[in-house]
Amino acid sequence: MRGGALPLFAWGALLLVLLALNWIWTGDAIQVGSFAFAALVIIAGGALLALRSREALRGGPPRVSRTRESVPQTSFAAVLVGLSVGAILFGLTFGRFIVYFGAGMLVISLGRLALELRAERASRRGTQDGPQDTGGSARAGEGRPG
Amino acid sequence: MTTAAPAVHGPTRIPGVLGALTSTDHKRIGLNLGLLSLVFFLVGGLFALLMRAQIAQPDVQFVSDQTYSQLFTMHGSTMIYLFVTPMALAMALYLVPLQIGAVSLAGPRLALIGFWIWLSGGLVMQSGWLTGDGAGRDGWFAYEPLANGTNTPGVGQDMWVIGVMLAALGMTAMAACVAATIARRRAPGMALLRMPVFTWTALVSVLMVVASFPVLILAMSLMYIDRHGGHIFSGFNGAIDYQDLFWFFGHPVVYVMFFPYLGAAAEVVAVCSHKRWFGHTAFVASIMAFAALSMSVWAHHMFTTGGVTNQYFAFTSTALVVPAGIEYFDMVGTMVGGSIVLRTSMLFALMFFIQFLIGGLSGIFLASPVLDYHVEDSYVVIAHFHYTLFAGSVFGFFAGVYHWFPKVTGAHLRDSWGRIHLVLLAVGTNLTFFPMFFLGQDGMPRRISRYPAHPGWGTLNLLESIGAGIIALGVLSFLVNVVVSLRRRQPAGDDPWQGHTLEWATSSPPPAYNFELPLPPIRSYAPLLDRRHEQLDRAGASP
Amino acid sequence: MVQVGLLAPPGALVDTRHEYDHLFSIYVPIAVAVFALVVLAIGFAVLRYSRRAPSQAARWHEHNRLEGGYALALALVVVFLLYLTFSAEHRVDTVAAHERPALTVDVTGAKWEWQFYYPAYGITARSGTVGRQPLVVPVGEAIRFNVSTIDVIHAFWIPQLRYKRDLIPGTTESATLLFDRAGSFPGQCAEFCGLRHADMVFTVRAVNPAQFAAWARAGGKGVPS
Repeated sequence: MRGGALPLFAWGALLLVLLALNWIWTGDAIQVGSFAFAALVIIAGGALLALRSREALRGGPPRVSRTRESVPQTSFAAVLVGLSVGAILFGLTFGRFIVYFGAGMLVISLGRLALELRAERASRRGTQDGPQDTGGSARAGEGRPG
Repeated sequence: MTTAAPAVHGPTRIPGVLGALTSTDHKRIGLNLGLLSLVFFLVGGLFALLMRAQIAQPDVQFVSDQTYSQLFTMHGSTMIYLFVTPMALAMALYLVPLQIGAVSLAGPRLALIGFWIWLSGGLVMQSGWLTGDGAGRDGWFAYEPLANGTNTPGVGQDMWVIGVMLAALGMTAMAACVAATIARRRAPGMALLRMPVFTWTALVSVLMVVASFPVLILAMSLMYIDRHGGHIFSGFNGAIDYQDLFWFFGHPVVYVMFFPYLGAAAEVVAVCSHKRWFGHTAFVASIMAFAALSMSVWAHHMFTTGGVTNQYFAFTSTALVVPAGIEYFDMVGTMVGGSIVLRTSMLFALMFFIQFLIGGLSGIFLASPVLDYHVEDSYVVIAHFHYTLFAGSVFGFFAGVYHWFPKVTGAHLRDSWGRIHLVLLAVGTNLTFFPMFFLGQDGMPRRISRYPAHPGWGTLNLLESIGAGIIALGVLSFLVNVVVSLRRRQPAGDDPWQGHTLEWATSSPPPAYNFELPLPPIRSYAPLLDRRHEQLDRAGASP
Repeated sequence: MVQVGLLAPPGALVDTRHEYDHLFSIYVPIAVAVFALVVLAIGFAVLRYSRRAPSQAARWHEHNRLEGGYALALALVVVFLLYLTFSAEHRVDTVAAHERPALTVDVTGAKWEWQFYYPAYGITARSGTVGRQPLVVPVGEAIRFNVSTIDVIHAFWIPQLRYKRDLIPGTTESATLLFDRAGSFPGQCAEFCGLRHADMVFTVRAVNPAQFAAWARAGGKGVPS
């Protein structure tokens, strides 16, 4: 397999074999169900890595970007999203008001996160004519939460 | 709604603590996660010391039974959910982008969100101590129906459930980022089979996290509902169903807590032997088999329940011998023919392999139902999983710390303190955990806060408690080493060990976007070693 | 019934202690040998290959055929271990379950006590936080234990027999066990079951069948010595 994703598919295939054995040997719905979920995730992960590995195959010495990503390397919005999720679940045990507080904070911080991502995409369009850079940073802005 | 859009072309870094806590730089997130995990390691270690004080001698009452059950619950939970697993992710977050020549994470904000969710989980779990009925007290796997609302009422156990859920959610998010980074950010030339050993172990771990942690989140959600009048697990077979769900997460996670440390120890052995890792392809293949099997062995925790098909799980569990044997073969194969330097990191790596071997070999015993019928839930199991989970992570972790500390900080750790650290940790580990094999064989169950004065039990337990103290001294000597080494720095340079992988091709510590110099060509999993060999050959050809 | 055990004489009652000790005595030397082999290999490599100039380090890094053969050898070891394990497991789980028991005891776990009920004699003994009445059993006879729980999971463990069984809510599991010698043996709950888990203990008093019969005839009064 091009790009060396073969081991990952071998993993997926072995999981399927073990899943089949589990099904025959135990026939337990919960076991087979969770096992099938995991096998699916691994096979999907392998497929993702296989599809994405063409760029790395071109070979040759990698070039390093002369242009820096023009995205801020901090994100308050992401921190707030994390804390809001924590607050919402914590509120379940501690008091309903924290759930509402966390939910409000989550809405605000998600809005803020969307703005950050939009700005980042805009800045990426701005630098697209810049010099060729590494396979990484050319698409650096694509990272999306969620 | 906020007013201004975030500054796009403004300053990309905010100085100070605030900047460090909100940074989307993978190195910063990795370091934050690692440092906080280390704090939780100290907390969990303190719980262990208190437990060892209680059971150092028969028939004493140093802490109450209630407190003791909270101590072992929080010791296990802290170590597993808040130290060993997140520390493995922290190493992956810091090192993987560097090793594959990437300038940043894919989805750095998701990683940051995940970090804060995980931290909230840790804080919620620990804040159970502040509640009236104390922290979680049903063990780190909180079996139903013991953990339901009738048998364990109280908000402390709820906080444990929520804490585990949050920690798992956060770690899943961070793991997904590492997987996405490997999928999308590899430098040209970095084909999957050219990825270094550590990156491969990290990739397998993060995929296992993504595949198995959701099942834990599901189990915890169901438990929360169950505790609040849901009666999820009180029906027919509910107790077994919970165990199936829990261990479907619970066994893969022990390999998540092993693979990255194995990868770290492997990198150290290769670099300190001046020879690339032996049998890279076979190793990768064996890791795949390892991972596939490790996701299918979970019910060997349930041999004594009578509710699972023991033969299937005995088969998969024993089959783990094959991939594990390959790792050891490759480790020895790397050293043979090399030029070995016994640095502190190398000593830790070799100790990692030796100590884990005790855990692994005892694991083969536990894979046999007939042997397991006796030793399940006894101190034999405690010994086994501390040789694998504690020795099999911490020795690899410290090997990695001594190896990569110069990269992360630009300064060397002291070798003198490092040797003291190694000796204390090795002596302490074996003194604490080896006698447990005899205790368990002799019939001492785990999780009892008191025991009668059976012949030999007092002596063995006292030895173990002394060993625990020695481990604590070992960890202390490590902390001293870090402080001394950072106070009076011995500059390390960019590549102090003649490293093999791309993280040694940048400055120490690496700059904001990792690489400022052009990367060397990537033609194998040890590009810097290739370059060194070419230079040697050229010098040899034209003397 | 197919006789699978390696050393067990055909027709003999399954003895869990014997099965465990037999299997254990094969596993231990293998484990010790593997451990010694690996440590020796590491020691050899360190002694032989340290203090050489880095430029002298070999460059070979693969030998897939050797590794393949090695993996095959490991797989054979796995097959051997599984054969032993499956044979023993077959005897302990299946053969034992088909034995005709000389005595049946219903074991009920509760927080934090054991109740041993002898249906043939109408005797009940209790042990744990409520007291310490022994579980009296005859030596050399197959005894069927039907284990269940009224609340959480407990585990019925008799270290002397190298055997335990979990008590799972909603089900009754059974185990057929054999005491091969007379004496007093400790037993304990092995699955954490809450606050006083440590006190959920009992004592087995294994006596010869005649003594047992006398004890049972007396309605469980007095403990045979």
